[in-house]
Amino acid sequence: MAGRRRARDTGRPGVLWAVPGLLFFGLFAAAPMVLVAWLSFTSWDGLSAPTWTGVENWTRLRSDPAMHRALRLSLLLTLLSWAFQTPVALLLGVWSAGHQRSRAVLSALFFLPLLASSVALALVWRSILDPHFGLAADVARWLELGDANVLGSPRGALLAVAFVAAWQFIPFHALLYQGGARQIPRSLYDAASIDGAGTVRQFFAVTLPQLRNTVVTSSVLMVVGSLTYFETVLILTGGGPGSATTIVPYLMYETGFRAFDLGYASAVATSLVVVATGVSLLMVRLTGFGRMRSTREGM
Amino acid sequence: MKTVPPATAPTPSRHRPLWRRANIPAGAGAALWLAIVLIPLYILVSATLRTREDYLERGALALPTSPSVESYRRVLAGDFLTYLLNTVVVTAACAALVVVLAVTVAYSVVRTRNAASRRVFQLFLLGLAIPSQAVIIPVYLIITELNFYDTLAAVILPTAAFALPVGVLILVGTMRDIDEETYESMALDGAGPLRTLLNLTVPMSRAGIATVGVFSALQAWNGFLFPFLLTQSRDTRVLTLGLYDYVGEFRVDVPALLAAVVLSVVPIFAAYLLARRQLVNGLMGVGGR
Amino acid sequence: MPFDLHPRLRTPAATLAGAVLLAGTLAACGSGGPSRAQTLEVWTYQDASTHIQAEAVERFNENSDVQLELVEIPGANYQERMRTAMGTPNAPDIFFNWGSGSISDFVQQDMLVDLTDTLAETDELRDAFVPTVLAAAEIDGGVYGVPMRGVQPVILFHNTELFEQVGAEPPTTWEEMEELIELFQEEGVTPVALGGADAWTSLMWLEYLLDRIGGAEVWQQIESGDTEAWGDPAVVAGAQTALDLIEDGAFGSTFLSNAYTNDGVSTYFAQGRAAMHLMGSWEYGSQLANAEEFARERLGYGTFPVFTDGAGEASTIVGNPNNYWSVNSELEGERLDAALEFLKHTTDDTYLSALVANGDIPGTVGVDDRLDDHPDPEFARFQYDLITEASAFTQSWDQALPNRAATEMMNAVDDLFSGGLTAQEFADTLRGVS
Repeated sequence: MAGRRRARDTGRPGVLWAVPGLLFFGLFAAAPMVLVAWLSFTSWDGLSAPTWTGVENWTRLRSDPAMHRALRLSLLLTLLSWAFQTPVALLLGVWSAGHQRSRAVLSALFFLPLLASSVALALVWRSILDPHFGLAADVARWLELGDANVLGSPRGALLAVAFVAAWQFIPFHALLYQGGARQIPRSLYDAASIDGAGTVRQFFAVTLPQLRNTVVTSSVLMVVGSLTYFETVLILTGGGPGSATTIVPYLMYETGFRAFDLGYASAVATSLVVVATGVSLLMVRLTGFGRMRSTREGM
Repeated sequence: MKTVPPATAPTPSRHRPLWRRANIPAGAGAALWLAIVLIPLYILVSATLRTREDYLERGALALPTSPSVESYRRVLAGDFLTYLLNTVVVTAACAALVVVLAVTVAYSVVRTRNAASRRVFQLFLLGLAIPSQAVIIPVYLIITELNFYDTLAAVILPTAAFALPVGVLILVGTMRDIDEETYESMALDGAGPLRTLLNLTVPMSRAGIATVGVFSALQAWNGFLFPFLLTQSRDTRVLTLGLYDYVGEFRVDVPALLAAVVLSVVPIFAAYLLARRQLVNGLMGVGGR
Repeated sequence: MPFDLHPRLRTPAATLAGAVLLAGTLAACGSGGPSRAQTLEVWTYQDASTHIQAEAVERFNENSDVQLELVEIPGANYQERMRTAMGTPNAPDIFFNWGSGSISDFVQQDMLVDLTDTLAETDELRDAFVPTVLAAAEIDGGVYGVPMRGVQPVILFHNTELFEQVGAEPPTTWEEMEELIELFQEEGVTPVALGGADAWTSLMWLEYLLDRIGGAEVWQQIESGDTEAWGDPAVVAGAQTALDLIEDGAFGSTFLSNAYTNDGVSTYFAQGRAAMHLMGSWEYGSQLANAEEFARERLGYGTFPVFTDGAGEASTIVGNPNNYWSVNSELEGERLDAALEFLKHTTDDTYLSALVANGDIPGTVGVDDRLDDHPDPEFARFQYDLITEASAFTQSWDQALPNRAATEMMNAVDDLFSGGLTAQEFADTLRGVS
């Protein structure tokens, strides 16, 4: 038996080959997961050692209006992001899947925002939205809208965060849809044409159903991604005005690295892990890993 | 399970255009989005060629009537090049670490077919879902304990660790497509795991490895949270953090601030022009996060 | 079996070793290497005045075996970064801070050197500082910081040209203030510039309003740790007055999106689009740098108006008594001596001259004969009198409270100004702040 196994396994690496990667991943990504859960049961100011306080942080978290508001805002922002990004990315992706030269050139331009970091883009948009010296001020004057108080109104600030994130991430999702659309068999369109379907009906009858899996994949990534916008909020609004854009990751940062209430911040962070993992597991289960991968084929 | 590796591209010529007629509403929509994309980019570039006074007086959209590179000079005269160098070191180290580790892990996962290796793969799949922000507090603790606080290693190590799951996922996909027979003929030659890896698996996974390298490099180049909370001094400041700090330094000198933004994007833009396909594939890896 | 395992093990082990080696190398090149032991890291907030500290460090290094290295930290979040670093082995050796709440956590953990004896050592040092200025560095009976920059009272600046145009004088009473707000609005000018995107600028209003309505004692009570004192009727009245100002349009309609930290508000003020601006004395210096003509020709200044039926006095000021150098208690022997020696240089003739020439009023006694070297002697004299004749000097609340309480308070201020809390809810929220 040992001999047979040996023959079959010649040249095969053992699972030990995975150990360096595992150790590395374990130390800097998996161990922190465990550690953050442990820290959520402690009180820690970052100077002295953490002290065990049991479920105190969790009791506080359950009835903390700031946390409730942050969760609500995170979900609202996620919903907004999804509702805005999906249709635009879908249309752009399908449009750019055509092989006309003009479309290829334009797509190359569309994808430019992907190249910059969130920090760089947030800085650009902050300058643009400046109430006195930005483009926002000019636009408000031309349209006679009064003052350009975009970042100063709770609704405006949240919409601004959603818009800037959309501006940054739509190209990525459009790329996904472009790949998906190029996989759709030509024959389906031909058949639809014979039935007399126009462009619009073809889109709804053929393109959209065929892109179902891509929609799910893109949605998973969008939802998980928008739970974690941080740089954009930090630079664009600083969580304000008031707490109008204090989403969960920002609340965690503020509690942890401004108030240095690191134990409580760990409870906030743990909730974020639970929500993000829960959402992605749920959505991955809905799609299945194999199908998720198949959407990459078109690239 | 037979899948097409993510890094290989279909040949466009096989497909015909989706629509034969020009699609006017779609074209109009695309033009609108083009404007939404290009106007900020126009402001970004044109503002950097103007003076601070000109920008404050004539508004964001005005043309640079007498272009000046003063803003760029101002940025380059500061610590920009130090930040750039730090970012290059962080990016290269991250890409190298992730490629080496992801190759060994993926190789083991694909070629060792037992429960343990499946477990390993599942662990990395789960790792895909961890938002790096959620563990920043324990990472701060670990980096502090290791005495790495305010060093480039404090940025490199966690950034690489969080890019690793995507790297493993991509490379497992790529390596699964290598024929079993090819391996068998290597085994008949008496090749051990290392020789097989170097002579067969790595060359056959070149595209996937390039994708992983580009992906992790992008993560490192654009990363902010780890440098923000784990480094302090000028000697360890990377570009993204430098940009953030320029707000306090350049204040209402919007042209100088935006010039710094432009300069920070230039290297990636150059890469985009030179190796568009690899870069786009790497970017798609970002979505795996 | 060992033969079978060995080749499998070799590569992974080599990879791991490589990764660890790489990490080690990176760590070494990141932190100044072995020379670090003989160098002291001195942290300062980076702004237009940093060159004074840089020169002081340079002068010190010329005559010292232990060398200092100045680390300049820019941006609005110096306090957070410094606090984050203090929890690590890479904590600074000497660092800039605001005294009180910004260092009280460190004092509790015995992380700072008590400077009482150092100050008592020489007569020059003991009597050098204005007592109200040194007070902010006194915690639990010890002295943990040495003043190292200028005193920064919060001043009500105004645009003299706009005041002349409407034929008005700067306000001395609250009634006058209210009339001016109405007057300037009729003229189409924003009465008061406010950078509400940075909550600490909104806070300045609450600080002065509480002082003028309830007197300096209310804050002193709160600062001493009595959170119930937030329930004082003057807190609610002050917050309500701020809400009334917003309601009346005193700050214009975009004050919540205006930021101070990018000089947006100062530029707006300098352009003559707002008539008044409540800001720290440093505003003068930044206007001088960015809009010199405005600073020299049209920038007026005065004290915060009084409430005729209020308990506060016109002579009470709010602001930062100073910035301080504190020393990490990890230092010992030669390195500690060097650090303490460096602190003594803050009362040097050269250092004080540099501060005054930069437009600062040092927190030391007997600087009045230096004031003529100030870029604007008249403004210097105004500040100096303000400081020396102050009946009380209330430290900025966000600097006076420890990090945690300060963060919660700032969130409440932000919520109040953006309409999320009523005046009563504001006071109730703060009573719950631990």
